[in-house]
Amino acid sequence: MLQILIYGAVSSAIYAMLAVGFTLIFGVARILNLAHGSFYALGAYSAFTMTSLLGLPLLVAAPLSVLVVALFGVAMERFLVRPLRQSQLAVLMITLAVSLAVEQALFLIFGSEYRNVPSFIAEKIAIGGVDISGQRLLALTVGVAVLLMLWLIIQRTRLGAAILAVSQDPEAAQYMGIPTNRIFSIVMAISAGTAALAGILVSPFLTVQPSMGLLPMVKAFAIVIVGGLGSIPGSIIAALILGYSETAVAYLASTAWTELVSLVAVVATLMIRPSGIFGRRAAF
Amino acid sequence: MQRIPWIDLLGGLLVLGILALVPMFATSNYLTGVLTVCAIYGIWASSWDFMSGLTGRENFGHALFIGSGAYTAGFMATAWYLNPWYSLPAAVVVAVLFSLIVGFPTLRLRGPYFALAMLSASAIMQRLCLIYWEYTGGEEGLYGLDPIIRSPLYYYWFVLAILAVTVLNVTLLAHAHWGLLLRAIRGDEATCQAAGINVTFYKIASLMISAAFTGLGGALYAHYQLQVSPPLFSVVVSITVIIMAYVGGVGSIYGAAIAAILLTLLTEMLRGFGEYRLWVYTLTLMLILFFLPGGLVAPTWRRLTARLR
Amino acid sequence: MTALLEVQEVTKRFGGLTAVRNVTFSLQCGELTGILGPNGAGKTTLFNVLTGFMPPTSGTVLFNGEPIHRLAPYRVVNRGIARTFQLARPFAGMNLLENVVVPCLSPRAAADENKEERSRHLLAQVGLGGRELEPVETLPYGDLRRLEIARALATRPQLLLLDEAFAGLGSGEIEPVAQLIRRLHQEENLTILLIEHKLREFMALVSRVIAMNFGDVIAIGKPQEIIKDPKVVEAYIGAAEDEHASA
Repeated sequence: MLQILIYGAVSSAIYAMLAVGFTLIFGVARILNLAHGSFYALGAYSAFTMTSLLGLPLLVAAPLSVLVVALFGVAMERFLVRPLRQSQLAVLMITLAVSLAVEQALFLIFGSEYRNVPSFIAEKIAIGGVDISGQRLLALTVGVAVLLMLWLIIQRTRLGAAILAVSQDPEAAQYMGIPTNRIFSIVMAISAGTAALAGILVSPFLTVQPSMGLLPMVKAFAIVIVGGLGSIPGSIIAALILGYSETAVAYLASTAWTELVSLVAVVATLMIRPSGIFGRRAAF
Repeated sequence: MQRIPWIDLLGGLLVLGILALVPMFATSNYLTGVLTVCAIYGIWASSWDFMSGLTGRENFGHALFIGSGAYTAGFMATAWYLNPWYSLPAAVVVAVLFSLIVGFPTLRLRGPYFALAMLSASAIMQRLCLIYWEYTGGEEGLYGLDPIIRSPLYYYWFVLAILAVTVLNVTLLAHAHWGLLLRAIRGDEATCQAAGINVTFYKIASLMISAAFTGLGGALYAHYQLQVSPPLFSVVVSITVIIMAYVGGVGSIYGAAIAAILLTLLTEMLRGFGEYRLWVYTLTLMLILFFLPGGLVAPTWRRLTARLR
Repeated sequence: MTALLEVQEVTKRFGGLTAVRNVTFSLQCGELTGILGPNGAGKTTLFNVLTGFMPPTSGTVLFNGEPIHRLAPYRVVNRGIARTFQLARPFAGMNLLENVVVPCLSPRAAADENKEERSRHLLAQVGLGGRELEPVETLPYGDLRRLEIARALATRPQLLLLDEAFAGLGSGEIEPVAQLIRRLHQEENLTILLIEHKLREFMALVSRVIAMNFGDVIAIGKPQEIIKDPKVVEAYIGAAEDEHASA
């Protein structure tokens, strides 16, 4: 029981980090970023490259990787997405193309074998009689910390107010002197960075291979649909629901059924309350 | 409602004729095999274009229908040892069922739900094929299917005939009132509602039609390869079909079919590039989106035959 | 005789804003009624509720005795209510004929065998005859409004809702459209409810006026009475000045 509680929390935290980034860029810039999974994968591979091939210590490689991927995201938004902004479909297509290109590039460069990224914390820690790897605990802690920081930024800083303004009405925000394009870039950086961070944190205990971004993407879609497109609290709550349901199902039934959890959740949401828990009105 | 320009019909017949005759001058079955795959991609691309090209509701998970059609054929052959001809109607039914399952909840909603759901559905199906490997053969899939027609040449002509039927069917629909409604839906759904049109019905029905032909193509593919495996559900397949429609000219239908044939041939010729092929595809898509959103095939054909319209 | 349309205590709130409050009125068959009100009075919101584009926060709408306020817009149309939009929204990429054929394909108009024939007839009726193959993008604004009316007529409505039929029309264009509306009312036996700003043309056209302000119905009556109603005058002191400025 305690195992479910803790492992569920870890899953939820990771899912939340992924989903929040995805929903953030949609809520603010109306960009449905199908390349979000690529940021996740790039984070893991970047950490791998820096530690294994460049010999950097993990403590340096991790933040550096986050930065690199964030910059990649900003570049993608600036040069590939922004010119096509008028058509939501073109944006979907171009981000899908990017995700495929990234996956192929990773495959060409690194091959399809599973790679290893070292853990931050190699030991196992016992909590209340349950053994849990330190790395998973770290993932949980960092995830919660990042989400808290994000919430603080949005609610308490001028940047946060600007982000809120742009998400409600980009034109009006621009008339008020808010540099909308720069806000898009910043939000993209945050979105890509959190995804990359998630990738780095889980890579020691999940497989690192070129297509690792696809399934987390599908999970992120499910969470965002259940929580409501564009709503951060919605994503967090949905991440908790999904994370815990999956963990419970894995323990009580079998791991094969976990995939169906997100499927059922999405179908149920679309049939009963399509706008999700917090709908699209409440952006944050 | 609109007449199909006679020049287009003539062009289509010409292309069909050339395609049918080419393998007779070849020395091996290799070319016939490649052209069979070309034709099947033509079926997939033109049926995608019919729904997504006309309504503008882009289907990012066309592979769902391809895979379900193919696996239906696979199961019928390997689990139930049925006559391969039966897989054709069965594949159609299964693919249409899938289109209802995904389309019904999502097409009545505004927003990107349909696109996301189709993408997710095909990814989930791919995953399920791997998870339930005892039933689906896992990574390796199902093999040992029998061909429907033993002679590669006759089978090719059979597939070509189905391609012709598919393209003709959806083109006729596109030129009839049905197509008009789909284009109106693309223009402005709210105004369509105000015109008394049940928008959701037409979207779902179009998806079902698209799925039907695609599932059929999936079964044809299964009985050509004589095996089915999870990559048939992959995003790569979906996006390949989309690229073909874009290169052909979204909404033209015949453009998608021709582009499918050309691109599949190109892929074969680029075999030497090995793994870089997908890169080439993805770059092509990006280039088209930026510089040639109207596509290549249909605009070129229209310009060449402008005098004759 | 049951009323054709009965609006009962309809209220529509958007978050904190009440756009329409407790609106109640009914329309008999064959009436030509107008809704008058300054900007923001809630007229278009009321239309949106009547035609199913928005559900009311509370209240009911009965058409031929049956509730319609929870129906999807296309179903409302097929019951017999058609509307035009304030901002004309034609189907881009199509010509005039195709624009009118689309509503002819609705279930309510399904009985008509030859849609193209009927569409040509409708276009002629609104004064756009002979121009069927023109692309809709090249249409001047006044003609777009006529096209809207043709499209609304295509669904064989019993009740026609016209949202600011005269908006954006030059002084020469208004009278022909007013004539068209009168003709449709008499020849096609249509019940018409229209929203309008331009007092002069409006008063000459309608037999009954529903005056609104800030979401409330403030007066209902014949045009001559409404003009003298103190509440209406007060709401319109600004509007009257605008009329003077633009006339």
